[in-house]
Amino acid sequence: MPASDVGAPRGPSRPRVIALAALALHRGAAGLMLVLAVLAALVFCQKSFAAEPGDVTSGALLMRARDAKTGGGDQVIEAVRLGTDIDMTVSGLTVRTRVTQAFRNDTGHWVEAVYVYPLPDDGGVDTLKMVVGDKVIVGEIKKKAEAQAIYDAAKAQGRKAALVEQGRPNMFTNSVANVGPGETVLVQIEYQAPVAVSAGDYSLRVPLVVAPRYTSPGAPTAPDAMAPIVDPRVHGKINPVTIIVHLRAGFPLAGVSSATHALDVRDERGGKRITLAKGEVPADRDFVLTWRAAPLAAPAVGLFHEKVAGEDYVLAQLTPPIAARATAPAPRDIVFVIDNSGSMGGESMQQAKASLDYGLAHLKPGDRFNVVRFDDTVTVLYPGTVPADAAHLAKAQKYVAGLDADGGTEMIPAMAAALQDDHAGETGRVRQVVFLTDGAIGDEQGLFDTIGANRGRSRVFMVGIGSAPNTYLMSRAAELGRGTFTHIGSTDAVEEAMRQLFDKLESPVATNLTAVFEGTDADLAPAALPDLYRGEPITVAARVGAMKGALRISGMIDGKPWETRISLKDAEAGKGISKLWARRKVTDAEVARSLAQISEEEADARVLKLGLDHQLVTSQTSLVAVDKTPSRPAGAPLARADLPLNLPAGWDFDVLFGGARHPSADGQAEADADQQIAGLDLPQTATDGPMLVMVGLGLLVLGGLLGAGGWVLSDRRRTA
Amino acid sequence: MIPVRAIQGAARRRLPFLVPAALVAAVGLALCGQGLWIPAKAALAQVLLERAFARSVATGRPVKPWPWADTWPVARITFPRLHHSVVVLDGASGQALAFGPGHVAGTPDAGDRGTAVYAAHRDTHFALLGQVRPGDEIEVARIDGRHVRFRMVAAQVVRWDASGVDPHAPGRALALATCWPLDAKTHGPLRYLVWARPTL
Repeated sequence: MPASDVGAPRGPSRPRVIALAALALHRGAAGLMLVLAVLAALVFCQKSFAAEPGDVTSGALLMRARDAKTGGGDQVIEAVRLGTDIDMTVSGLTVRTRVTQAFRNDTGHWVEAVYVYPLPDDGGVDTLKMVVGDKVIVGEIKKKAEAQAIYDAAKAQGRKAALVEQGRPNMFTNSVANVGPGETVLVQIEYQAPVAVSAGDYSLRVPLVVAPRYTSPGAPTAPDAMAPIVDPRVHGKINPVTIIVHLRAGFPLAGVSSATHALDVRDERGGKRITLAKGEVPADRDFVLTWRAAPLAAPAVGLFHEKVAGEDYVLAQLTPPIAARATAPAPRDIVFVIDNSGSMGGESMQQAKASLDYGLAHLKPGDRFNVVRFDDTVTVLYPGTVPADAAHLAKAQKYVAGLDADGGTEMIPAMAAALQDDHAGETGRVRQVVFLTDGAIGDEQGLFDTIGANRGRSRVFMVGIGSAPNTYLMSRAAELGRGTFTHIGSTDAVEEAMRQLFDKLESPVATNLTAVFEGTDADLAPAALPDLYRGEPITVAARVGAMKGALRISGMIDGKPWETRISLKDAEAGKGISKLWARRKVTDAEVARSLAQISEEEADARVLKLGLDHQLVTSQTSLVAVDKTPSRPAGAPLARADLPLNLPAGWDFDVLFGGARHPSADGQAEADADQQIAGLDLPQTATDGPMLVMVGLGLLVLGGLLGAGGWVLSDRRRTA
Repeated sequence: MIPVRAIQGAARRRLPFLVPAALVAAVGLALCGQGLWIPAKAALAQVLLERAFARSVATGRPVKPWPWADTWPVARITFPRLHHSVVVLDGASGQALAFGPGHVAGTPDAGDRGTAVYAAHRDTHFALLGQVRPGDEIEVARIDGRHVRFRMVAAQVVRWDASGVDPHAPGRALALATCWPLDAKTHGPLRYLVWARPTL
């Protein structure tokens, strides 16, 4: 129950209480008290605190040490991050990123360092190098269990080892065993990712947000294991980021800009060299770089080619010519589905209602609509879609306003009801289903099957509501329903998110897209192309038998057939295409697994083979670093020449490895409030019970007083 | 003998007081009832949850406590020193928390890698969290049959949106959360966190 209900005695009775208060005020002092009580109750109403999911948003190194003295469990402390250098090379449509970060073990223990790193969704990690003290460790791709075993063995033997595992698809965990006291760890990972293209803007994003600090659970009991506290005033100096981007866009540039950081752009051979204007910046926000093609130079088609291990890989990208709509959009049929199950209680329900209200308010004359609500039961407001006229809309708005969150979540009958098309033969109109839910269901497969079997001409647009919607379910369902997934995280964001969604709903769309290679055999990824909205490009990666023939892409744009051909001869040289292709094949296998098109074993086997063949960290493969380089004689300083890593420009190696400088030596104080970093958000955990009882008792007493007072007063008047 | 008209006169004069008085008292009574229903519902639900939990352990798969429920038992937390145990539900939505502590989404199960977080109302299921002291044992029985023993190591007060809890942190920590201050009557931004570690 939202807190705003506290003390306000149930909606309908409130006016009566106020009228009553006015009457009593007229009569005497008791009335004044009553008004005060009502006011006090209203003052206690507070905004409820919606929980947002916490997430690791940047690389953070945690040190883990066994505390022998207390015999307790693991102590986890965060290492101070000394610096980050990011070196990116954009080659056409791919970007290769090398992230180098240096950390120091400031504890007096031998520790295991655990490093969590978020990457762009399509990023694939393929290289890991690490310098721990005087050891250089190079990672190798192995089967996940095998890698874990190798790592565990090395860890037990006291040897240095590193392991990179994939947690969620865009989250990687890197563990390093046996880091000595005072040692500095230099971590370098490399990954390949596609460049994002939208409406002619090319962009890349690097997650840089300051790492959440882990508050060690046992800190008070083991003070010597506590992490040094970073003073925010010097934070910028000890957590600096340098970024360099080598931009080889493949076309004349109209402009390079960043909405997040000031840039320094210079020409270099083959393209531009982009650095931060300030040189070093604190890692307090993500870095986003955007570039545009010069007018008329914008390539309608991009085609890149790479030969790896005797195989040819191509990456093609083109933007279908979807024109802006000159006339008003054709009338549509829209079915809104709203989840009012118990898990939507509170803030989520408000967001869902606000979103649906927005949708209803933006229907146009000529549109038809319907509303479906569900918990463990389903109600369809109208027997079929009805014209969006004032009477129908008013009834729908009133109906939505009266919904309460309660009961279970049976999504499948609701989806089936929404997909039931009473005008199935009509081809002139678009039929869209806008599905508002938090996706808290167990039977995901059942929902996918329902969409696959019943979608007909409908497109399904999933709108994820609340702090932690089931994004996996939503994006898959939207993909199957050939629509999109929109996430609304807070009530403030409803307007903006729904506006964007409605723009999409009204824009023309390229459908039934297929890509076929003519003249050569090819293995395409992704296997099926999604529908595209205006400004969105088609991207196809493929392994081809020979670099000859052409790629034919065809489909329907706004109901009219469209086709184009690209000759493979015109391909330019590109980098990292095989890895991108493999990464997409991995995604295809994971999708096929989730749709139960292939068995778990089959999916695992496919992912494993792709991971091993293309040296990628996947759900089945990990990077494990064995201690290959012979140990340096004890005490011998590590010289710069011994380092196989490219030390970032501007870094002073002696400062990094020489010791001495530790910015927070005096920082062993308790963390103060402004240093506490977000972490997981906690739910509201107070009931309205005590408050209700308190206010209730207060009102009972007042009622008694009022009654007694009235009795006495009227007696007195009679005698007078 | 009092004249009939006099009675009518007195009643008429008293009416403007007695009617509002009765109404105010009725609203007060309704609020009290509603307020008392919350702990009663919380206690009643635990009986049903206990049954569903036992069936879940026996069958090895989640069992809904009642057919229209939106959640299901995932574990039982026991505080041996306080002779108290509660059945925990999946998810920490307001709806679930009315019936039992919730396992906060996005955190691992107790005993798995990471930090498992369970939250409950300070005035019902976690009313006793203030009495749990460092060194106390906390046992978690999961529906997959695993029993994990923890020992409380620390407690802290944090803001709900700056908890510092990292669900993916190394180790196998347990965090129990409720609202702070424990005896407050209104909602607030502070949370009380009890940290525990597995006993080796």
